[in-house]
Amino acid sequence: MNAAGLVVDDLVAGYEPGVPIVRGATLEARAGEIFALLGPNGSGKSTLLRAVVGLVGVESGRVRLGGDDITGWPTHRLARAGVGYVPQTDNVFTRLTIDEHLALAVAALDRPQRRARIASVYELFPDLAGRRRLPAGHLSGGQRQMLALARALVPAPRVLLLDEPSAGLAPALVDAVLDRLRRARALGVTIVLVEQNTRVALAVADRGCVLVEGQPRLVGTAAELAGNAEVARLYLGAR
Amino acid sequence: MLGATIGLGAVGLTLTYSILGFANFAHGELITVGAYAALTLLWVVAALAGWGLGQWGPLSFGGPFVLLLAAAMALTAALALGLERALFRPLRRRGTMIGLVIASFGASLALRSLVAFAWGPEPWYFTREIAIAREVFPGVRVTADQLFVVALTTVLMAGLHALLTRTTLGRAMRAMSENPALLAVTGIEPAAVARWTCAIGGALAAVAGLLIGLTVQVRPLLGFDLLLPLFAAVILGGVGSVYGALVGSLVVGVAEALAVPLIGAEYRAAVAFLVLIAVLVVRPTGLAGPRP
Repeated sequence: MNAAGLVVDDLVAGYEPGVPIVRGATLEARAGEIFALLGPNGSGKSTLLRAVVGLVGVESGRVRLGGDDITGWPTHRLARAGVGYVPQTDNVFTRLTIDEHLALAVAALDRPQRRARIASVYELFPDLAGRRRLPAGHLSGGQRQMLALARALVPAPRVLLLDEPSAGLAPALVDAVLDRLRRARALGVTIVLVEQNTRVALAVADRGCVLVEGQPRLVGTAAELAGNAEVARLYLGAR
Repeated sequence: MLGATIGLGAVGLTLTYSILGFANFAHGELITVGAYAALTLLWVVAALAGWGLGQWGPLSFGGPFVLLLAAAMALTAALALGLERALFRPLRRRGTMIGLVIASFGASLALRSLVAFAWGPEPWYFTREIAIAREVFPGVRVTADQLFVVALTTVLMAGLHALLTRTTLGRAMRAMSENPALLAVTGIEPAAVARWTCAIGGALAAVAGLLIGLTVQVRPLLGFDLLLPLFAAVILGGVGSVYGALVGSLVVGVAEALAVPLIGAEYRAAVAFLVLIAVLVVRPTGLAGPRP
């Protein structure tokens, strides 16, 4: 896998022109690391991810993938360039089977590569392998989240953006998601993880930052952020 | 046979409705243009090469029909793509759904007027040969052409089913009907899927127009008169369901055909709508739509 870092440089983005949600965000997720994006509700974390993948308009600033300027690229082109994205909600096609989800994600590859990629993802997600002909609408919430993650990993992305992958999941499933993220990192995937659950995020991240009102405030390693008194007070429940 | 030709039009309409997100009232005119395109090509090849429609056994046409069919499908698909590019896509970008519907009405009116201006208001015929109906079941008499219409429709629907279930394009079309943004995240360009959807819908409309023209007549209001039964079939079957559109078309076709001897041809469209209302009262999302 061709590891790549993701650099966001002074990004201004929002859903309506002139009404920015992300206000000059600058961050760097280094190649092969898990970078956690923390912050309160409404701080612009999800909007930042959506702006990077082209689902929200960028007013100014730049996004670079391994040195290439990918600012303003259409979403499908970003996906083919190796930027994977898992939205928080509506992240599977309920009428497509698990097999069809994976086939669609690797449609651009040749047949031997497609087979190899799908086989390796089914090894990573054995629970899905046993249900491959089921439509996603027949899966449980946890299984759908696994499918969304599998769909994003099957084309071997260079960078993976995840929006609250643990939301609504039982603790055992959260552990399963984190395990898959660690294994993806071991394969060289750079991961940017948005999480409301700060404990979950810092348990798996290498570095991260806290986004407040669309701007990064604190940046550091997971240990530094966990040890920061303000982060601990605001997000970890410390007194 | 009526159900089969309505089915070809309804399937194209439901594809457009579910994948592009709006009811395209110009779809009837695609059926009309398909019929006129084939007829005009027949005149051209007859004038240039002396070819006629030919004849295969009991059928009223032969080999040249296949060329006419292919050419009409290509031309009508191109027209559908032109409408998508020039009219519907810019309006969809601005997010005005009502604007799309009104624009499709406008396109329908413009195309219908152009056809009437170019070819005149009188009906035309692919052939003046009298088709002999033969009894296939007790009390059921059909012509060879009518059997061909049913057979061709069956083959095309089987092909469409294979496309939707076994190809990347088909999966992408089904995915786009649900979530275009997620389709883009998966690495597939929604605009390309939209173009293919328009082309396939236009091609199927051309087949419907050609078959109706072959078995009945070609006239400017051919497609417009089918619009209400088409929408009835789509809604009856459940919007977005290709298989529902086929079942809906059969119900509408049979209802209209049975209505003619019972209450007269002028009321047959009303019968289709009475059936539609009856089904929607029991199942508001249509026969193959999601459970309410």
